[in-house]
Amino acid sequence: MSDKLKQIINKQGEQHGVSLDQSDDIVQLVGFIIGEEEYAVPILAIQEIVKPFTWTRVPQVPKYILGVFNLRGSVIPLIDLRQKFGLGAKNHNEETRFFVMRHEDDVAGFVIDRLTAAIRIKKSDIGPAPDTISGDDTLIDGVGKQEDRIITILKVGKLLERDF
Amino acid sequence: MDEFQEILQDFLVESFELVEQLDSDLVELESTPEDLELLNGIFRVAHTVKGASSFLNFDVLTHLTHHMEDVLNKARHGELVITPDIMDVILESVDLMKRLLETIRDTSADAGIDVNACVVRLDKCVGGDGNVEVVSVEAAPEEEAPPVEETPVEEETADEADDIDYDNMDADELEAEIERLLQERQNEDKAKREAKIAAGEKVVSIEADEPAPEPTPEPEPTPEPAPVSTPAPVTPPPPPPPAAPRAESNDDAKAAAPAKKAAAVEQTIRVDVKRLDHLMNLIGELVLAKNRLIKINDDVEERYEGEEFLEELNQVVSIVSLVTTDLQIAVMKTRMLPIGKVFNKFPRMIRDLTRELNKKIELEISGEDTELDKSIVEEVGDPLVHIIRNSCDHGIETPEERLTKDKPETGVIKLKAYNEGNQIVIQIDDDGKGLDVGMLKSKSLEKGIITEKEADMMSDKEAFGLIFKPGFSTAAQVTNVSGRGVGMDVVKTNIEKLNGIIDIDSELGIGTSMKLKIPLTLAIIQALLVGVQEEHYAIPLASVLETVRISKDEIYTVEGRNVMRLRDDVLSLVHIGDIFEVERILDSSEHAYVVVLGLGTQKLGLIVDTLVGQEEIVIKSLGEYLKGIEGVAGATIRGDGGVTLIVDVVALMDIAKNVKATALVEGGSGAGQISNEKTKASDYTVMIVDDSKTDRVIMRKALEPLGVTLVEASDGQEALNTLKQGDHNFDAMLIDIEMPRMDGYSLATEIKKYNRYKNLPLIAVTSRTGKSDRMRGVESGMVEYITKPYSADYLSSVVQRNVNFKSEFLS
Repeated sequence: MSDKLKQIINKQGEQHGVSLDQSDDIVQLVGFIIGEEEYAVPILAIQEIVKPFTWTRVPQVPKYILGVFNLRGSVIPLIDLRQKFGLGAKNHNEETRFFVMRHEDDVAGFVIDRLTAAIRIKKSDIGPAPDTISGDDTLIDGVGKQEDRIITILKVGKLLERDF
Repeated sequence: MDEFQEILQDFLVESFELVEQLDSDLVELESTPEDLELLNGIFRVAHTVKGASSFLNFDVLTHLTHHMEDVLNKARHGELVITPDIMDVILESVDLMKRLLETIRDTSADAGIDVNACVVRLDKCVGGDGNVEVVSVEAAPEEEAPPVEETPVEEETADEADDIDYDNMDADELEAEIERLLQERQNEDKAKREAKIAAGEKVVSIEADEPAPEPTPEPEPTPEPAPVSTPAPVTPPPPPPPAAPRAESNDDAKAAAPAKKAAAVEQTIRVDVKRLDHLMNLIGELVLAKNRLIKINDDVEERYEGEEFLEELNQVVSIVSLVTTDLQIAVMKTRMLPIGKVFNKFPRMIRDLTRELNKKIELEISGEDTELDKSIVEEVGDPLVHIIRNSCDHGIETPEERLTKDKPETGVIKLKAYNEGNQIVIQIDDDGKGLDVGMLKSKSLEKGIITEKEADMMSDKEAFGLIFKPGFSTAAQVTNVSGRGVGMDVVKTNIEKLNGIIDIDSELGIGTSMKLKIPLTLAIIQALLVGVQEEHYAIPLASVLETVRISKDEIYTVEGRNVMRLRDDVLSLVHIGDIFEVERILDSSEHAYVVVLGLGTQKLGLIVDTLVGQEEIVIKSLGEYLKGIEGVAGATIRGDGGVTLIVDVVALMDIAKNVKATALVEGGSGAGQISNEKTKASDYTVMIVDDSKTDRVIMRKALEPLGVTLVEASDGQEALNTLKQGDHNFDAMLIDIEMPRMDGYSLATEIKKYNRYKNLPLIAVTSRTGKSDRMRGVESGMVEYITKPYSADYLSSVVQRNVNFKSEFLS
């Protein structure tokens, strides 16, 4: 029975053109652009992606925290990743999105410049963060290599951690 | 195991309820030692706890309650007179019992507390009859281990004091006697039940009614119901009926204690608080949705004035709003507890304090039925303890002192609670020596809490407020009871946490009166919405004393602080914009509003630009990430879906002290005009605002030949956002009047609020030709009014004129 099941699953996998042997070895990510770089976070950490709408400024917080917004009845902080990463603020445009991420009980919205794509990447293709920036404080979980590009994978837990 | 936990939970809930009742009953008992009904009630509590704890194998607790029961049983039968000394021991044992229950709650076991000393003292109270007691003392711990075995013993001791001498019976005789008594009891019950059923009542109600006749002095049946409850399954003979009386008598024991005062027992069910909290959250969502619905209704009303379906919509909205409000009140009520739950512990406390301080004090409680939200009831206990202690220690004088002052020897502390509007007021009055303003000031000076200058400026009320300062104590020496200067500080913090207000009144030599005004509930509150620049904030209405409209020249600056005269007082002022770092972009008008905030005994004037209105808001937390922002208590979601921050009045008072006043007259810095040199035609930027694509294209066609930069927006809201983003420096705007979301008039009004757009030419392009339309246009700040249809040349020339288009760019 289970063999049959496996066969079917394998077949389906092949039909989708993803004949990567075991799903354990694959990480699913969602990629996005901030400034010039492409970053990614695990797909399961994303609660939803919404188009920008109005938010309310909150006083006495670092500049990269834009404020709070209402996501269907919950009040959620909004963080501008551009400013958090030391890039200048930029006006929101058609491609700007709010990335709502969840880690354990913490939820926050992050402003990103542009969404790229859902990415399936083999675990073996993910390298550690460069030595110079590794350690507990870094936001970088690892670096994913795909044919022509390099994607920085971010730690969601760290992003959602209050650091002021 | 789960089942055990469940039983344990029930046991704890019930026991704590019983014990709470016990305290006040015991104190009452001391003054009326012959009150049999009271004694029976108390005895039953000890007994119920004992029965349940032995069943759950809490040996220490069983041991203790067993001996308490002995003493009380003696007293109940008049063989022992309750003297204050005996009462001390009983109270001590009650305390132990409480501690044991707490230990059980925390650890699920009753180990670690030594009850033997107390047990010995309890035994001493039983005194004279020593020999009988010694036997049971020894017997109890041994036989208690298996609960089945224990029960007959229990009955034995319980019945001991009855006329029949069970001790001298042998086992068989005893069995027979038990059987006889059971039978008797059952028949009695049966007869009663039948009578009731005949009277058309449900069986359930019998149980509720029964305790009433029971406690009356019929010695025979009273000791029975509780003891019988446990032996029922053990006793062999009577086959079918025992189940009924057992359940019934069990209920008796439970119901009897709380029911003593209220004649009828209300039918209740226990509900997990979590469920109520969840319910409250859902109601919160509903209230938000309701607010939103009302807002939409208003918008629709404006847009489709006179349409028939409006009336229907109106009706539905008002029904929804009405029902939501009712529902909210109903759910709030389910969370309400009588404040008596807190008041109950004070008679005992006063009693202990009077003995400790050698004073004579009487406590009068009224309004204990007044109800408060559960979470508030839990918070309000501590402050009251401190206030009452304070009254006992500092307020009420010693009997000798009182006599020399022509006061009755016994001091009176009155504790009462009552509703006042949306608040509950807890008032604590004492007839003690009152607060001495001079003494308060000099003490505070001495301790460096205030400066001399402050002391001079202080009103009496403010001086009374000094007792809440941390580190302040009027007691000449530190006693066991108070004087460490912590207590009243706690009062202030706790009450403020609840958005409450403390009001002190005192007359030297006559007494002190303290009023705690606390909102009824925490989750949904009435708030005053205020506006500053473009932002809105919500202030809990409970903290708002009044609002005043002032002109700027009524504000004085004293030592870098803004103040104003409010009737006879000087009120210090702070601008909300200074606290929340609001950018001053909008032009400030000549007038401002001052929201007078009151908290505890402090007052503060908060300057705001506009008052938006009063609204019911649901408090939501800002979450872990943004917690602890000074001055912000949380957020709420408004009718339009936006988030509004809620002002934390407590923190605001503190922040205000350190905020330097900014000159209010100055209208912000960046008021400079947009007067960039134009070097080419495309330096001119014109925004076209129209909801119709065709119209936008027509305008574009008309203006393109000029070579100016054109930006389009499809409605007022979008236009405003574009403007605010500041990507372009606009030289003129062409605005359609009829647009969704925000129409042309409102857009113009909004734009004119900004300093930097004061001189931006706004040109209306519309098919509305009425005179009144033109007037509105002018009122809202439009400089030109072009009616559709128009010629391309005309539009172009109007624009050129308004942007001061340099003719050399015309090709």
